[in-house]
Amino acid sequence: MLGFIAADLRRHWIGVLAVTLIIALAVALGVVVTLQERALRLGSARAAQAFDLVVGAPGSETQLVLSAVFLQAAPLPLMEGDVLAGLIADPRVAWAAPVGFGDFVDDHPIVGTTQQLVGGLGRLVEGRTFAKLDEAIIGAAVPKEMDARFHPMHGQPQGPAEVHGGISYRVVGRMAATGTPWDRAVLVPIEAVWRVHGHGADAGHDHDHDAAPKPRGMAEARQQHRDFAPDLDAPINPAALSEAHAPGLPAIVVKPKTIADAYKLRRDYRSAHTVAVFPAEVLTRLYGTLGDARQVIALVAYGAQALVGAAILLVVVIHVLQRRRQIGALRAFGAPRAAVFAIVWLEVLTLLGTGMLAGFALGYAAARLVSRVVETASGIALPVIATPTDAGALIGLFAVGALVAIIPALLAYRQSPAAALRG
Amino acid sequence: MAALEVRDLEVRFAGLGQPALAIPELELEAGARVAVTGPSGCGKTTLLNMLTGLECVRHGHVAWAGTDLASLGEGPRDRWRAAHVGLVMQDFHLFPGLSALDNVLLPQRLSRWRLPAGLADEARRLLDRVGLPDPRQKAETLSRGQMQRVAVARALLARPDILVADEPTASLDAEAGAAVADLLLALADETGATLIVATHDPRLAGRLTRTLRLDAGRLI
Ligand SMILES: Nc1ncnc2c1ncn2[C@@H]1O[C@H](COP(=O)(O)OP(=O)(O)O)[C@@H](O)[C@H]1O
Ligand SMILES: [Mg+2]
Repeated sequence: MLGFIAADLRRHWIGVLAVTLIIALAVALGVVVTLQERALRLGSARAAQAFDLVVGAPGSETQLVLSAVFLQAAPLPLMEGDVLAGLIADPRVAWAAPVGFGDFVDDHPIVGTTQQLVGGLGRLVEGRTFAKLDEAIIGAAVPKEMDARFHPMHGQPQGPAEVHGGISYRVVGRMAATGTPWDRAVLVPIEAVWRVHGHGADAGHDHDHDAAPKPRGMAEARQQHRDFAPDLDAPINPAALSEAHAPGLPAIVVKPKTIADAYKLRRDYRSAHTVAVFPAEVLTRLYGTLGDARQVIALVAYGAQALVGAAILLVVVIHVLQRRRQIGALRAFGAPRAAVFAIVWLEVLTLLGTGMLAGFALGYAAARLVSRVVETASGIALPVIATPTDAGALIGLFAVGALVAIIPALLAYRQSPAAALRG
Repeated sequence: MAALEVRDLEVRFAGLGQPALAIPELELEAGARVAVTGPSGCGKTTLLNMLTGLECVRHGHVAWAGTDLASLGEGPRDRWRAAHVGLVMQDFHLFPGLSALDNVLLPQRLSRWRLPAGLADEARRLLDRVGLPDPRQKAETLSRGQMQRVAVARALLARPDILVADEPTASLDAEAGAAVADLLLALADETGATLIVATHDPRLAGRLTRTLRLDAGRLI
């Protein structure tokens, strides 16, 4: 029986291949949607793990989280300079670290922060942490060597950019991989970011943009910007963060001491001047939206699967009708009716099973590929994880297919052998 | 050996005023050698379908050795036919992609989980007997004469006591047809089976001991 089925499938291999491929693609579509949605949820939740509470200036909470946690480049409004000082002094706060953006090196964001956040993100696998203003720690995915020097670029990596020719950082440490966008980031002392952009302790000293003679045109302004060289050859001064005239910050990452403290801090920092968010909460809200989108996509995938199922059924029915002579002949020569049923049924199940397994493999591979692409682009590790529910869903789908396959099997079963022989 | 008794057999097809077949009475002794002849459309195939249980007997009785096919349901009729009837058709109904040997064995393979010991050897012996040189040759690569000889071997594998052939030589050239006719007669003799052959071929009909002449569904 199985030998006959194998020979039969082999003989119609082009059709078999086409049908299997269509089944595989339809299944893969559904698998990718399921796996990627799960990967996105797991990956973003992991990325937000180190960020208990984020404080920023009033504005879009989602944007605040996307920028501070996922390092998405977007202009954020700035808070007053004394907010960080207040948080650092707050007894409910274990640590609070600034997140300041602005520059890039290649397409890696340079983030100004402090040692506390470096510690909160993970550990160093190479070198040491920054001690001077011109020292930088790189994320695991930044392709730079220890001791390498680089000039920051001002502005968007894709848009018009200005090289800060007079400024250079030196790589002194590398962080362990975190599977977050921070793997692609370059961390420098926040004070350095301030100074590079004309703020901070010795801002008025000589290189402040405002202090320079007024440029007489675009070209000259650019040149001034390129030549601007603040003094970064100085040790980090933690007290600079708490100065009354500290520059404004787009975001502050806060590690509360207890959960109760976290809620109290969030309440206290929801004011006219600041907003405080739990990234996990914002993400949950995003997942809600994501879930809706997923449902739409899933509906499309299921629709495609249903259409494929119907098309396959049609193909198989036509195939069975065309071959009713052969199949009916089997009965005339002594094969039992049940065998005729089983042949057709098992053939369809073979196609279905192979197609579904291939489809799962294909979908899994595609999801991995999507994750890889997203990972290189964003740094967010999107773990593609298949769960027993997936197997359950596939088995369910297979069961439905097996039920539907009874139709052509019955057609063959009911085929009169005499009519079959007549042709 | 099976003796056949037909009573009041009538077959009508929808849309035809006349019955396609009407046989009030027919008896064959066991081991008979019978030709069924007549012009195309006279009802030869219809008669064979009735005698082999390929189609349901709705009117009248067709009894082989006391077993009335009219009283059997579809499943039992299939089983009865598998046990008693070997069929050879004008179109050989071999499965391309399978070897000659696998074609001979196919109905038996589909009837049970495991082939009984010795059946494959029996199939090889039969293929040798019908003069096929290589049992492993794929069905679609055989000549038409060889195909029909494989079909004859397949019909005989289950040791049927009734051997029925519907125009077995009609799609073969004279030489191959004669060879197949020789085989049918010789093998029917060897096994003692009752042989019924519907044929246009007067030479084949002439070699059988009895001729049933059909015209418009009636015996004349
Ligand atoms: N399934 C059918 N439906 C309608 N008419 C049929 C059917 N089968 C056979 N017939 C008719 O019955 C008659 C006998 O056919 P058949 O037994 O095939 O003749 P033969 O085999 O002698 O050529 C023909 O007129 C044919 O058209
Ligand atoms: Mg005929």
